[in-house]
Amino acid sequence: MATTETTVVAPSLKRRFMELLAKPWSGVAMLLVFYLILIAVFSILSPFFFNTRNMLQIGLNVAYIGLMAAAGTPLIIAGGLDLSVAAIAGLTGVMISLLVGLGVPVWVAVGLALALAAAIGVANGLFTTRLKLNPLITTLGMMSIVSGIALVLTGGLTRPLMIPGFNWIGSERLFSIPIPLIIMVVTFFALWLVMTKTKFGRFIYAAGGNAEASRLIGIPVERTVIVLYVISALAGAVAGTILGAMLGAAGPNAAGSQLLTVIAAIILGGTSLNGGRGSVWGTLLAVLILGTLNNGLTLLNVSSFWQDVTRGVVLMLAVSLDQLRNRALGE
Amino acid sequence: MSSIPRLSMRGIGKSFGGVPVLSNVELTLEAGEVVALLGSNGAGKSTLVKILTGLYSRDAGTVEVDGEAVLFGKPADAIAAGVKLLPQEISVMPDLSVGENILLGDLPMKPGFGFKQVDYKTIHIRATELLAQLGFEALDTHQDVKRLSVAEQRIVEIARAIAGQARILIMDEPTAALTEQEAELLFAIIRRLKQQKVSVVYISHYMSEVFEISDRIVVLRDGRNAGDFVTRDTNKAEVLAAMLGATAGDLYPTEPPPPPGTDVLKVEGFGVRGKLADVSFTVRSGEILGIFGLVGSGVEVLGRALYGAVHSERSGQVTLDGRPYRPSTPQHGKEAGIGFVAAERKKEGIIADLTVRENIALPFQNRFTRGLFVSTEAETGHAQNWIRYLGIRTRGPEQKLRTLSGGNQQKVCLARWLVEGVKLLILEEPTRGVDIGARREIYGKLRELTAKGFAVVILSSDVEEVAGISDRSLVLDRGRVVEQFPRGVTPAALMAATAETQTA
Repeated sequence: MATTETTVVAPSLKRRFMELLAKPWSGVAMLLVFYLILIAVFSILSPFFFNTRNMLQIGLNVAYIGLMAAAGTPLIIAGGLDLSVAAIAGLTGVMISLLVGLGVPVWVAVGLALALAAAIGVANGLFTTRLKLNPLITTLGMMSIVSGIALVLTGGLTRPLMIPGFNWIGSERLFSIPIPLIIMVVTFFALWLVMTKTKFGRFIYAAGGNAEASRLIGIPVERTVIVLYVISALAGAVAGTILGAMLGAAGPNAAGSQLLTVIAAIILGGTSLNGGRGSVWGTLLAVLILGTLNNGLTLLNVSSFWQDVTRGVVLMLAVSLDQLRNRALGE
Repeated sequence: MSSIPRLSMRGIGKSFGGVPVLSNVELTLEAGEVVALLGSNGAGKSTLVKILTGLYSRDAGTVEVDGEAVLFGKPADAIAAGVKLLPQEISVMPDLSVGENILLGDLPMKPGFGFKQVDYKTIHIRATELLAQLGFEALDTHQDVKRLSVAEQRIVEIARAIAGQARILIMDEPTAALTEQEAELLFAIIRRLKQQKVSVVYISHYMSEVFEISDRIVVLRDGRNAGDFVTRDTNKAEVLAAMLGATAGDLYPTEPPPPPGTDVLKVEGFGVRGKLADVSFTVRSGEILGIFGLVGSGVEVLGRALYGAVHSERSGQVTLDGRPYRPSTPQHGKEAGIGFVAAERKKEGIIADLTVRENIALPFQNRFTRGLFVSTEAETGHAQNWIRYLGIRTRGPEQKLRTLSGGNQQKVCLARWLVEGVKLLILEEPTRGVDIGARREIYGKLRELTAKGFAVVILSSDVEEVAGISDRSLVLDRGRVVEQFPRGVTPAALMAATAETQTA
């Protein structure tokens, strides 16, 4: 009574898809295709979509979000997570407005806000590495503290932020490209250099890929992660500065609603929530995709409430894809 | 006898990534029989057990339980067929009661308030019945499992295993966390299970246990059957010979060791609180020191404590190159000139998503950095050098480490430390999960490296390896050095030196 076993599996469509997912470039390639399709679809549906003006507008709209997502990417690759980044952006605008009201020169005020952000980043880093607290809970707590302080300082009101010699950072253009967009692109480029060309970059991928192995070969895993929390917090502060300058106003929770966009962009960009894998270019494409979706849907007169739904759907699709990719890689 | 065996596994074959792990393996069990499954690390025991419990699918062969052909696609299939595994690590739910733990797989329900709810009264009655079968009806089924001793938790696990009509019970190192008296208690339970016609596959490193409890001994070596003995008709020497084989000779380098140089590491009265006490030895350059110990002997702590990867309180004197040396982080060990390869390659060794080049350059990244940026050319040159020297089979330095075989991953872990300034290599289980060809190459290269002046310390629970490769060897047992041997020690002598086999 022998069982004949056949372990032959035809190379089904599913298997082929999984093999594709296992390729290192698959994430970025799929995003690029998706982005081009999106542009084509909106170009057909709306006559106002495909022109330089609107494209630059999308870039301006997503600049401060992209900044936060760019800095969050290496952090998640290294095994961290920062949910307080958007709250830091809100507090930064509020601080600048209040300090200037007290007679502090505006750029000094910006400097002080950046210093505070760095301190928040250090705190996030120390809590998660030295005390080994869960980063999700730690930075969720920090988000609540930071946005709470911003609300206390303003009584919940939005404050004016129209200061001579300041607002140009949000409104001026260099060679007809908006300054915020330039800042974002430069940030992406700088992070790409750091992550792929430097020793510190190697430590980021090593720490996230296998923290225990990295520690055992003498890599300063904790220091690496703490520095990345500081970078993320600083990016939040710069994003808050840019947003305040663009709007001419500082709301205590000005960027809060974009936290989900930031996280969605990083995950959609192919960065693994398990750490160790990802690239800033994937994040940049994802930021552009999410920004384009918003812009296109607005041009088509779709309610902004529906845009929340879209963003949630995209996020969940991205997470599912990440999970599938992990399975394809045999984890 | 022509009765149908309880279990019959025939012609079992399994390979991973083209490397055969099991070929044509047989295992039969009569009802109520206790069969000990023996073999050194990597012999294929755990793979065979995983096939039997539905964790792995087999590539070839048949499995029959009570004459019925079975194909376990998932663990639940095996459990449904009455094949239960008692894993090495105790797996109870500490916050549930004894009764709930025992009947977790099939909680009795009762109707009430219009929906089914857990019937706690029946739970405790049935759990007590099951415990009575094992002779432990006195255990209070209402108390939380976290309040029980380790041995009592084992009993709860066994009761859970027999709750759903166990026909075959697989015990993997069941005495690992038990005291001697508690182990006796476990044996009493096994004898009761025998009377109830439950068959047991008993896996253990401890010879004396095997001879006390088993009816038959099945030995695996290199993924094949290497012996099948009736326990009362055989002896330890015969079983050991089957486990170790006579073919091991050419696995290890035969060239004579280089003349030993200066003292590299000198350890005096070294201790780690609760793990090691009063360990003393010296390693000279050009020398391979083997340290043998079974799981729990301290062999898994000593190497990393000397490297700086253990935080517990340490005592004693350590000198490295004549200077006092007190590492408290791996960075210290690395900067002092020690290279360390951890036992658990996947968990503590490789960084799977980085390339071969990146993995090799990682510990001494500074040396491949020019100004602000890493020099990929410098890394590539260095990596290619060691890929060639160690014979790492890879498509090139840009291949992701994830996709290499275990042996080649291990060579990459070793290559990380082959830079100027490293004088001592501390290697934990250097060939665990490595196929025989790569093992031979690794041993050969270690010999060559000592000729270049490296000192090597190997910590291993593989008795053959320590006997085969060491210029000198120590035996650790219960955190102490119990014996020292010169070059040419036999595996049997090393094994005999552990207190366990000595007293038995």
